[in-house]
Amino acid sequence: MSTWNYVVTAHKPTNVTHSCVGNFSSPQELNLIVAKSTRIEIHLLTSQGLQPMLDVPIYGRIASLELFRPHGEAQDFLFIATERYKFCVLQWDTETSELITRAMGDVSDRIGRPTDNGQIGIIDPDCRLIGLHLYDGLFKVIPFDNKGQLKEAFNIRLEELQVLDIKFLYGCLKPTIVVLYQDNKDARHVKTYEVALKEKDFVEGPWSQNNLDNGADLLIPVPPPLCGVLIVGEETIVYCSANAFKAIPIRPSITKAYGRVDADGSRYLLGDHAGLLHLLVITHEKEKVTGLKIELLGETSIASTISYLDNAVVFIGSSYGDSQVIKLNPQPDAKGSYVEVLDRYVNLGPIVDFCVVDIERQGQGQVVTCSGAYKDGSLRVVRNGIGINEQASVELQGIKGMWSLRSSTDDPFATFLVVSFISETRILAMNLEDELEETEIEGFNSQVQTLFCHDAVYNQFVQVTSNSVRLVSSISRELLNEWNAPSGYSVNVATANATQVLLATGGGHLVYLEIGDGTLTEVKHAQLSMKSHVLTLTHWSNWEGRLFLDLFFFAPLKGPPYLLCALGDGHLLNFQVNMSSGELTDRKKVSLGTQPITLRTFSSKNTTHVFAASDRPTVIYSSNKKLLYSNVNLKEVSHMCPFNSAAFPDSLAIAKEGELTIGTIDDIQKLHIRTIPLGEHARRICHQEQSRTFAICSLKNRSSADESEMHFVRLLDDQTYDFTSTYPLDIYEYGCSILSCSFSDDPNVYYCVGTAYVLPEENEPTKGRILVFIVEDGKLQLITEKETKGAVYSLNAFNGKLLAAINQKIQLYKWMLREDGTREIQSECGHHGHILALYVQTRGDFIVVGDLMKSVSLLIYKHEEGAIEERARDYNANWMSAVEILDDDVYLGAENNFNLLTVRKNSEGATDEERSRLEVVGEYHLGEFVNRFRHGSLVMRFPDSEVGQIPTVIFGTVNGVIGVIASLPHEQYEFLDKLQSNLRKVIKGVGGLSHEQWRSFNNEKRTSEAKYFLDGDLIELFLDLSRGKMEEVSKAVGVSVEEISKKVEELTRLH
Amino acid sequence: MWKEIGDREMGKIRPNSFSSQIKSNRISNLQLSNNKDIVSPHRGSINSLQVDLTEGRYLLSGASDASAAVYDIQRPTNYEGNGLIAKHKCLFSVDKQHGKGHKYAISSAIWYPVDTGLFVTGSYDHYIKVWDTNSTQVVMNFKMPGKVYRTVMSPLATSHMLIAAGTEDVQVRLCDIASGAFAHTLSGHRDGVMAVEWSTSSEWALITGGCDGAIRFWDIRRAGCFLVLDQSQSQLGWRPPVLARSAANKVSVSKSLSAGQNSLGKPRAPQKKYANGHGVKQSTIGRVPAKSSARQRLHPGMLSIQDRATAHYGAVTGLKVTDDGMYLLSAGSDSRIKLWDLESGYNTLVNFEMVRLQTSKAIQLAISQETAQVFVPCMTVVKAFDIWSGKMSLAFHGHYESVNCCWFSSQDQELYTGGNDRQILVWSPCEPITDDMDAGHTKDQDNWSD
Repeated sequence: MSTWNYVVTAHKPTNVTHSCVGNFSSPQELNLIVAKSTRIEIHLLTSQGLQPMLDVPIYGRIASLELFRPHGEAQDFLFIATERYKFCVLQWDTETSELITRAMGDVSDRIGRPTDNGQIGIIDPDCRLIGLHLYDGLFKVIPFDNKGQLKEAFNIRLEELQVLDIKFLYGCLKPTIVVLYQDNKDARHVKTYEVALKEKDFVEGPWSQNNLDNGADLLIPVPPPLCGVLIVGEETIVYCSANAFKAIPIRPSITKAYGRVDADGSRYLLGDHAGLLHLLVITHEKEKVTGLKIELLGETSIASTISYLDNAVVFIGSSYGDSQVIKLNPQPDAKGSYVEVLDRYVNLGPIVDFCVVDIERQGQGQVVTCSGAYKDGSLRVVRNGIGINEQASVELQGIKGMWSLRSSTDDPFATFLVVSFISETRILAMNLEDELEETEIEGFNSQVQTLFCHDAVYNQFVQVTSNSVRLVSSISRELLNEWNAPSGYSVNVATANATQVLLATGGGHLVYLEIGDGTLTEVKHAQLSMKSHVLTLTHWSNWEGRLFLDLFFFAPLKGPPYLLCALGDGHLLNFQVNMSSGELTDRKKVSLGTQPITLRTFSSKNTTHVFAASDRPTVIYSSNKKLLYSNVNLKEVSHMCPFNSAAFPDSLAIAKEGELTIGTIDDIQKLHIRTIPLGEHARRICHQEQSRTFAICSLKNRSSADESEMHFVRLLDDQTYDFTSTYPLDIYEYGCSILSCSFSDDPNVYYCVGTAYVLPEENEPTKGRILVFIVEDGKLQLITEKETKGAVYSLNAFNGKLLAAINQKIQLYKWMLREDGTREIQSECGHHGHILALYVQTRGDFIVVGDLMKSVSLLIYKHEEGAIEERARDYNANWMSAVEILDDDVYLGAENNFNLLTVRKNSEGATDEERSRLEVVGEYHLGEFVNRFRHGSLVMRFPDSEVGQIPTVIFGTVNGVIGVIASLPHEQYEFLDKLQSNLRKVIKGVGGLSHEQWRSFNNEKRTSEAKYFLDGDLIELFLDLSRGKMEEVSKAVGVSVEEISKKVEELTRLH
Repeated sequence: MWKEIGDREMGKIRPNSFSSQIKSNRISNLQLSNNKDIVSPHRGSINSLQVDLTEGRYLLSGASDASAAVYDIQRPTNYEGNGLIAKHKCLFSVDKQHGKGHKYAISSAIWYPVDTGLFVTGSYDHYIKVWDTNSTQVVMNFKMPGKVYRTVMSPLATSHMLIAAGTEDVQVRLCDIASGAFAHTLSGHRDGVMAVEWSTSSEWALITGGCDGAIRFWDIRRAGCFLVLDQSQSQLGWRPPVLARSAANKVSVSKSLSAGQNSLGKPRAPQKKYANGHGVKQSTIGRVPAKSSARQRLHPGMLSIQDRATAHYGAVTGLKVTDDGMYLLSAGSDSRIKLWDLESGYNTLVNFEMVRLQTSKAIQLAISQETAQVFVPCMTVVKAFDIWSGKMSLAFHGHYESVNCCWFSSQDQELYTGGNDRQILVWSPCEPITDDMDAGHTKDQDNWSD
């Protein structure tokens, strides 16, 4: 039974919804704060660019984000309001680099209807009050007292029902708001109100302005000395204040975001729906506004937020494309653009559809998403783990160690690769044809296993074998010097750098040698006791007989240094090292695999990472002051060494089962995202394995201003992602669904596309088509088409037939051979009774329908009668956004209020009524709008592990989240449930927001505690806790820290 | 529709505006349902209709033949007309034959708001009965001093289980299901009470409309009513402009009344209040002092002038509070519909188009919050008015005799109406009849029929 589910985020939200700039972390530092729906990121502005400081989850969808500075404070506070009516005020704690909650509270009301136009949260520029517009007809005020503390909130009646925007005016004696609203004749006006805090009421403000641009949607308050407000419409921009009114016409556009450039408010950046960036200038003589000017600067991603950072550098946050950091140049480039993109931040949102494919057939899924919108539309190929791009490989058995050597000290590239076997050492070198061939270094002893090898100063090599240390000239390749191990003892382990060699021999002798020009000098010899501390050793093993140990010192550029310690059973211990005292703190144990681990550093993109070779190779790296582990997409690696040669720059030499591979490594991060820009908006995607193609339904806006769109079905090669074929749809015809399937009695595989004719005068499409294509020579060939009586919202392969959801109806079509040999689809039977059957999934003879507003229903196809009947339904009024079948009895759904739910078929019900009802089992607030569920997995499944057996579903959301829902066995669920409730007590939400409330199911009618779903994001935070807190949790749960860690680590491998 | 779905998919419109957009769209297309039919077992006029508040699934009707019935409106009992017309027969009904049933007409039938395990009926036989839905047995009886016109329970209440009842008697009674006794009697009306309504923002506030034309507000925790609506108290002038504010404080209070008359009859007065600038002379008589003093002045001896204020000329026949708890709609035997601002208690002066209302009987109004519409039974027709403008937007012709009650289900965007013609009609968003005329289908119908 898939009733116990575990929800975890594989890719965090990337849709930038809000951003602001201010002195948050210290009075001198400038910070950029970015809100990505349910997370905030704090960046520091440095001369090198943006430097991330903190990235934390918020237990709520952020509705507003504002920086403000209360009286008497030297730096800014952060105000956050969430969509579920919580707010908090945060301050930066310089000592711990964490957020402190200054205030928090609930601002929900019994009275009033939630606004449709989005919640507004604003702060008076003189910091007298916070204003919130959350319900139609109400304006909530949270006043500040003189000390900057928040006082009790109250509501003021706002008569304007359709409020589009509210802002505070600058430079007013009393706090004054300006309200942009639409009346019931659809005309738009602004008016001002003074907030009388004592009377708890509004007083008519100093001015108002009626009958504005019909598209007026945005207010920009202008700071002193000018004051007043800019009203941005679709065709005009108006400056308005008590004593001035200036307007300029603009090219028709919808302004989505603005950013103020100067503190005096004379220049603004405006970003429109087509991604064009304009500069708006208020011309003025002293304090008198004389006019407005607007200039096109260039093109960016479609902005949802604009923050001017400093020195002409601007952050463009986007919901529909990648966010950018741009520089505004004083002079235009050749194309007339002033915009230069300095940096991009990947954004997968909105993911409207995706498919899970295994193109390389390695047993590892990749997700291909339809991301972005309008001109920023793209396909994104998302893959978990770090890939190795194989450049060359040789068959070699039994490799015991590998080192790369440079032919001279100042050579930037390595030439030799020393490969050690159990009883010999072989040397490979790059020849003139850039091929790897076996060579010899005369001075090396190649008859024995090499324990260690390194470049040394003065163009020398060091080779350590079990009985000697040899110093060899890299030019003449002749032996220069040799140090022999004391007789009776052999060298067990050794390490070296350019000038020093440290080795240990049997019997606990530790020898330290120094390398000179042709000399090896024994400097120190010590007898070790078993318990002595090892400080800055880099390589050490065979300690304590039983355990195979690999110690490793890892000091990443950013963040604290670590000591890593690999154990023979596949575990890895890590400690933080205090560099001055040499103390080891914060011990953590993770399990990487089951085989002994060997550690090696390598560098990629100028940062050092650690490669842990074992049966489950892993790259260890440091990010955000945390050690992160990312799996490498290789089966088993015994040894690895960096091999940066001229022919294979930045490569690694990897020894795996009987093979030596040289390859380059991907960027070091957990998820790999490849972007295929389309320049148009892909809406549906589907993969066909047989023809090795993707097919997408996409649309292209012909020009920015006019509404006309072109719709296509396009075919892409699944390797190159090039368009190979395009089928244009009719005018007004939209592609709604796509499917690759085959029919009974026909070996071919087809693409089926469902469409709708969306006519401007029609509320609901009354006509559509089902098109059936075959791929021939990489081209789409239309085989047959069928007209339908409505939009084909969904297509499914069903018992060798085609099941379509058309408006209110589910319709089954069969594949027929006409007498003339051509094919056609013919309707067989159907089922009525839906408002709109939007989402359909099938399993065997069962059909699960997600309705527009009537939750989930279960239908069954009866073969004998050739009819589809309703078996059961959920009678709740959920507005669905996606459905999936978890198993025969349990179905998963996502709905309009960002919740997930599971329903169960009740076949054992005693009465008819019970059997006809889908019982709601699980409920959970995801806080994300899910567009699609698909079965599949992002990670390679290892059949030996427990996790390998857990079925998973992947989902994609509007904010660019890719998540995984795993159906757990019951005991594991019970255990994790207990762990989760204890973690809630230990891990406090930012701003004091409650995790329990956040995850509680919530819609217009009710709120109820989450059930049968666990929050994996919270549970996996266990691994980041300090030892003390881990023990606190472990005590409460009654399971040892190690045991919990092991179980949680297993789960982290689900994504 | 596909366009909106696409916009929701890419986050261009918020999911909640998506749903309200689609709901409004559907509501504007309401018409007599061509695929849903409620089979009424009643042999008398239908006086009361309510769909349960928890599941939105069971419709309860009460009729003049002393019967009450429950229907499943989600799951049809059978289909007719090639499976295209869903018939909803009643799951059960109770009538005079039932040993402990009512003797005379049921005027009011309501669900227990917390679950569908109980329902409450009020009758002209002076009794209020509480029924167990599963056993269809009476579990509680309240004997009232006269004919029961209306019974209501608070949808919000978590700390009480009171049925408020309006009867022939001048006193409004609160019947406590928990104890089976009367909790309170509320005295103030000078005639019988036809309309009773709980507030949708506070579980303690009750609104009653009497045959004396008064609408009274009660806080059931305190004695006496705290507000009596006055139709001549308009909303005008309660928010003075900034420039006039200092001056206004000195201007005498008496001016405000005459100023108030100026824009009488202007639709949607609040928004345009000062558009023509004559508000300069308004005074602060409005809200601030009124509100703060009102609460202190409520106590038993309310000023007699205030206490005698009327909301309608004639009886108040229907009351309905908007779901957001901010406005009240009232219908009177003067054939007027009035919209009241609940916070200030003012008549908003929205001019609802002239209608003819039943005068002798209580009527049950319904509201659709999404589209800001009120559904009013106007003799044989049900009309939908825009709450803010008072303009009629839809008219539902279908009943042969006067309509008494309507219920709007926001969940399904369906309107149920019941009238003296003993019919319960369903009005649903029009769906194109998909009688599928494609070639293959005719063949299929053959398959079905055998």
